[in-house]
Amino acid sequence: MSFKQIQEQANVEWEAFTRSQPLRVLVGSATCGRAAGALEVMEAFEEELGKRSLTSRTGVYEVGCLGMCYAEVLVELTGADGRRILYEGVSPKSVPSLVDSHLVEGHPLLDKAIAVMEGDSLEGVSHFSQLPNVEHQVRVVMRNCGVIDPTRVSHYIARGGYSGMHRALSMTPEEVVAEMTASGLRGRGGAGFPTGVKWGFARKSPGDTKYVICNADEGDPGAFMDRSVLEGDPHAVLEGLLIAGYAIGASQGYVYCRAEYPLAIERVEEAIEQMREKGFLGEGVMGSSFSFDIKIKKGAGAFVCGEETSLMQSIEGKRGMPRSRPPFPAVSGLFGKPTNINNVETLASVSAIMEKGAQWYQGFGTEKSKGTKTFALAGKINRTGLIEVPMGIPLKTIIEDIGGGVPDGKKFKAVQTGGPSGGCVPARFMDLPVDYEHLAQVGSIMGSGGMIVMDEESCMVDVARYFLTFTENESCGKCVPCRMGTQHLLKTLTHISEGCATPDQIETMRKVGDSMKKGSLCGLGQTAPNPVLTTLRYFEDEYRAHIEDKKCPAGVCRALITFHIDPQLCTGCMACAPACPVDAISGEKKKTHHIDQNLCIRCGSCRQACKFDAVVVN
Amino acid sequence: MPRIIIDGLEIEVPQGTKVIDAAERLGIMIPRFCYLKSLGAVGACRMCAVTFLQGPFKGVQMSCMIDVQDGMSVSTTHEEAVAFRKQVIEWLMLNHPHDCPVCDEGGQCLLQDETVSGGHGIRRYRGKKRTYRNQYLGVFIAHEMNRCIHCYRCSRFYQEYCGYRDLGVLQMADRVYFGRFEDGQLESPFSGNLVDLCPTGVYTDIPARHKVRSWDLNRSPSLCIHCSLGCNTVANARHRTVWRVEGRFNEALGSEFICDRGRFGFGHTNHPIRPRRAKEGSSFVSLKDAMKSAAEKLRHIHATFGAQAIACLGSARNSLETQTTLRSFCEGLRLPEPHFFVNPHVKKKVCGAVARLDERVAVSLNQVAHADFVLAVGTDPLNEAPMLALAMRQAQRQGASLVVLDPRPSFLPAPHVHMGVAPEALNGVLGGLVRKAMEPGERENTALRSRGFLQSLPGEPFFRAFSDEQEKVDAVLSGLKKSRNPVLVCGTEVVRESTPSLCADLALLLKEVKGRCGLFYVLPGANAFGSALLSGSGESTFLDVIQSMERGFTKALVLVESDPFVHFPHQERLREAMKKLELLVVLDHLPSLPVQTSQVFLPTSTLFEVDSTFISQEGRVQWSRAVHEGGIPMEQWTGGTHPPRVHSTVIPGRDFRACGEILKEMARIVGGKGKVFLPDPWSFLERGPSAPEAPSRGNRPADGKRLIPRESSPELFPLQEGHFTLREETEHAFELLVVEAVFGTEELSAHSPAMEKWEWEPHMWMHEQDAFELGFSQDEVIGMDLDGGTLEVKLKVCPAMARGVLVLPRHHRLQWQKFSDFSMRVPHDCMRKS
Repeated sequence: MSFKQIQEQANVEWEAFTRSQPLRVLVGSATCGRAAGALEVMEAFEEELGKRSLTSRTGVYEVGCLGMCYAEVLVELTGADGRRILYEGVSPKSVPSLVDSHLVEGHPLLDKAIAVMEGDSLEGVSHFSQLPNVEHQVRVVMRNCGVIDPTRVSHYIARGGYSGMHRALSMTPEEVVAEMTASGLRGRGGAGFPTGVKWGFARKSPGDTKYVICNADEGDPGAFMDRSVLEGDPHAVLEGLLIAGYAIGASQGYVYCRAEYPLAIERVEEAIEQMREKGFLGEGVMGSSFSFDIKIKKGAGAFVCGEETSLMQSIEGKRGMPRSRPPFPAVSGLFGKPTNINNVETLASVSAIMEKGAQWYQGFGTEKSKGTKTFALAGKINRTGLIEVPMGIPLKTIIEDIGGGVPDGKKFKAVQTGGPSGGCVPARFMDLPVDYEHLAQVGSIMGSGGMIVMDEESCMVDVARYFLTFTENESCGKCVPCRMGTQHLLKTLTHISEGCATPDQIETMRKVGDSMKKGSLCGLGQTAPNPVLTTLRYFEDEYRAHIEDKKCPAGVCRALITFHIDPQLCTGCMACAPACPVDAISGEKKKTHHIDQNLCIRCGSCRQACKFDAVVVN
Repeated sequence: MPRIIIDGLEIEVPQGTKVIDAAERLGIMIPRFCYLKSLGAVGACRMCAVTFLQGPFKGVQMSCMIDVQDGMSVSTTHEEAVAFRKQVIEWLMLNHPHDCPVCDEGGQCLLQDETVSGGHGIRRYRGKKRTYRNQYLGVFIAHEMNRCIHCYRCSRFYQEYCGYRDLGVLQMADRVYFGRFEDGQLESPFSGNLVDLCPTGVYTDIPARHKVRSWDLNRSPSLCIHCSLGCNTVANARHRTVWRVEGRFNEALGSEFICDRGRFGFGHTNHPIRPRRAKEGSSFVSLKDAMKSAAEKLRHIHATFGAQAIACLGSARNSLETQTTLRSFCEGLRLPEPHFFVNPHVKKKVCGAVARLDERVAVSLNQVAHADFVLAVGTDPLNEAPMLALAMRQAQRQGASLVVLDPRPSFLPAPHVHMGVAPEALNGVLGGLVRKAMEPGERENTALRSRGFLQSLPGEPFFRAFSDEQEKVDAVLSGLKKSRNPVLVCGTEVVRESTPSLCADLALLLKEVKGRCGLFYVLPGANAFGSALLSGSGESTFLDVIQSMERGFTKALVLVESDPFVHFPHQERLREAMKKLELLVVLDHLPSLPVQTSQVFLPTSTLFEVDSTFISQEGRVQWSRAVHEGGIPMEQWTGGTHPPRVHSTVIPGRDFRACGEILKEMARIVGGKGKVFLPDPWSFLERGPSAPEAPSRGNRPADGKRLIPRESSPELFPLQEGHFTLREETEHAFELLVVEAVFGTEELSAHSPAMEKWEWEPHMWMHEQDAFELGFSQDEVIGMDLDGGTLEVKLKVCPAMARGVLVLPRHHRLQWQKFSDFSMRVPHDCMRKS
């Protein structure tokens, strides 16, 4: 079958999906949705539809993630009028009313509706693209996430998929590389190396056997962009890998995905099978002379295996430890052959660029940082979730407009970008354009796209300690600066948070961090001190407060704080005492309660339990 | 060749040289932990950081990871690099237990040295030290994981360099653990090198553990004499005890590593049952009296029965001094030429090999490690010469293919093709392989002379046995065809007499075709080469001596550090023959059987007590220096390691001398004053243009001196009928191959207490199909009714070995000597389960 015929067939299927059945239920059931109960919601829908004998008239589908984690489970319903409404926070309990009111009676439930996806707008419910958190976004990588059924290749093809590969096959590999260079796309794994240039190296590297690898070993705590894309739109990534293979002259591709992403792996496996059926893989891709195949390699979840040389060691069946570069993978990579390795997001962008052209992609972003970038918003922010924005967007827009600001009216303090390898950007850089260069200027990195927002109640020593705990644990143990440096920093931070450090240790940490940056073997160790160094740079006073005054200004470090009950505010409601795990709270009903400081373990349970903010931290 | 400036000094080095090595050439020793030339660079310890001032790299970089390039300028003393290295040392000391006072590595610890030289002294870290549980790693090596600085040398050596998998890296981050998945004896026979490799005291050797401090030890360059390779060692002694043997680098051998047999096999020199006192009959006498008595008795026999009534037997464990003096002794007293081999076949093979080794083809162990194709014929490298197996592995790691043609099961720790060829088919299969590999193209190129030889090599019939293993044969052929630098390794124990010279011919042929080909013999015994050189030209063998003893012609036998019972196949016959002797004089340091029956016993010194010379199997003359005077070890004398309270001017148990000196003294007494002319021992080593100079302190090249002629025989192998014939299939008998094993078979190391703890049960190998046909199975005890009695051994079956042979490792606890002749046939019908 020619590609044109495949496309026509896919269009028919897509039409059928969107139009043929009068009623339609789309449940966002990527891992995030599932965690919130999407599968139960789906079951509930099927049951309710069955009760009302609507099963034959209604299509119930799983779709990927729209990125609005704060609002899971997300369900999109299409009523008989063809209007598509997105509902938030759906639970199995709310399903009967949704079915009755929207699907049977045709009246959308306004209090649960979050947006209108298609059709006439409703009173008080804005159109999806006009949502404050969507308005500023540009979806390239996530173009199909939450829109198509990721288990159907036809949906992807109908929305323009594989036309990029089709176009690439009409060009020479060198032209494809040139197109990629022209697009200005830079590696989304963190370092931001120009993708086209990287391909060019691998292309020019002599050798009959070459490999391309998709790095789906997303390991940063709080980052889940790659998982979402693989689960919601696996073909976008695989097409990118196919194009990369063609461009550099490889015949074998690998998807290296951590085993903690079972759904993503399942989706990719399915997708590879579908590619084979359609003739996009194997001998003669799309009837051309180019042959290519893709294997999945599951990683055991070591953070360091996201580093390219470790990742390749891991594929080879060796212990996942980095090696020194040069030689770079483009010269000697997997099994000693020239290898090109790209991140999931990069490859998903590649397929879009090949479909729409370099010119189109250049339209987004800044002069040096082109295109869009996905971020995982987490921490003290109202609208947590996945976003995709053009490069160069001010930090303020992301935090305030898209993220909805800090909850409970607290003050925004800083944001950690780039996960444990990145740095803290303090509130005073709110207007900073988010791109590779500007983030580097303030001592942080773009990284893979994690953004953890901190408010005034976040202790920066504690934040640094949190990230160091992670890197200390995930250091592969090969080189001394990383293995011992992280231990050195972590133990020092622990001492600071326990109030038993001396002022000279600040200088020691700076020196240790500096040596780690200078002498570590791979990116993990070179960037591991960043959280400490940037918090030291912007929040040294907080460190000093811990060391000199033995105080934690944010009231987080347990060794330095005490909990008290304000007699003025306490109503004697008895809510706090049962919440205390060590029975440190005494008091009678309607009388002021009291915390025994000798018993208190400073867990903060009472503070959470109190409805009157009577528990105060000193 | 690129040039680099290091600390203001310029040097030109070969392409691909690392900066750290370039600095070493200038005499600048950049600190390092993980880097070791033989293991290559890995970049783990970050200790070798230097500052790059000019060139493609800038700033602090690891000198072990960067190849020298033109225009580079490097400072090893730049403050940035010095500060960084100091920081690294500080990190390494965060968790180190500082237990130097009780650590056996103390005093020779790289970590100590680098800590002091790095300038780290003040501890800034206040956290707790992480600790580990140690493992039991067997009888040779103790494990003390808390000392570990995670340089990865051990796991890289153990797994990558040696090819064993049971010790490696476990866990990650600061929990990284080097050890086994559970307690147990290390499987690698090279595990002792971990002691030398480890930059601190994680692995220490058990024999010397907590006994001595390194700075108290007498150290001297020594040799390993537990096989024919002649690896270089360092001997360590104190308080009349040899405590430790370490590896020593030799360019020709290519590494500083030694096997565990060589490392832990020194115990015979300290052994409590080592005979240290001269004996006359059953009474102890002084050495002087014993020598006098022995000489008197020899003179008496000489005078009464003539010189022909005296026979001398040396061995391959004699030093060259002993051998040459023995030869000189016999010549001076006009005695028959001494024998050095008990087995006449072995004599012929070793002499054949030594005669054919010349500079055209001889290669060193290091050259084997750099070959692109190694074909081992009739040798079991791991068991006969363990370091050869390691050299072959290094060749394989660099892309060489390895082929072993040998009847035994193969244990080579590297991917290789093993063809289980019976001894009688070895010549045919080898000849056939070479002939086939030369067809058709390369054969045309060969000179007419060798073309005739090539065409006379056998063809197809020898592959019939491998008809169902065509892939193997094809792999061997294509490997041999492609190779540009092949090496033939030839054993001398299980092969037929003609095999060593056939190998020499084939090596010459391959050299003619390919321009390069090496020949590497494996000989039985540390000084088998010297034995062959000094065996003389006579056709007489030790078998003739036995017959002469039986007939009563030979009246006196002088055993010079030699125990014929170890090798003679018929123990009873030998015993009877020796009973007929009027005089048995034994010179030895091992508690051998003849020591007990001798009329006169003369104790001799071991390798560690006298400067000695040995010739390795490639003809390399190497020297070892005495490490101490010897005598009864302090531990045995005082019951502890403290010197005795009562002092004496005589060293207890020191009444022995070097073999050669005793022989000289005896010759003097036998001949009377001035009557005996002893020829210069070294005159026997004159062999054409490369006659060696007699060794002296001033003439001992560090890597030894190769003693082989430029060209041995210009004639190519005159093909004889019978070399390429196969045994009749109808014969219902096995050929018994008595062979070496890594541990437990070699004479000297068998008397080492450390080895005795790591003993295995004697066993015998048989082909799976043979066992099936006879109704035997794995682990059954098989009884064999032989001429000299019944031999019972546990059976092990193997699918990958030759049919029709029984392979029996010569375990020192096993009395296998029950055969009427050296051919050692075991008929099927004399075997039964017992």
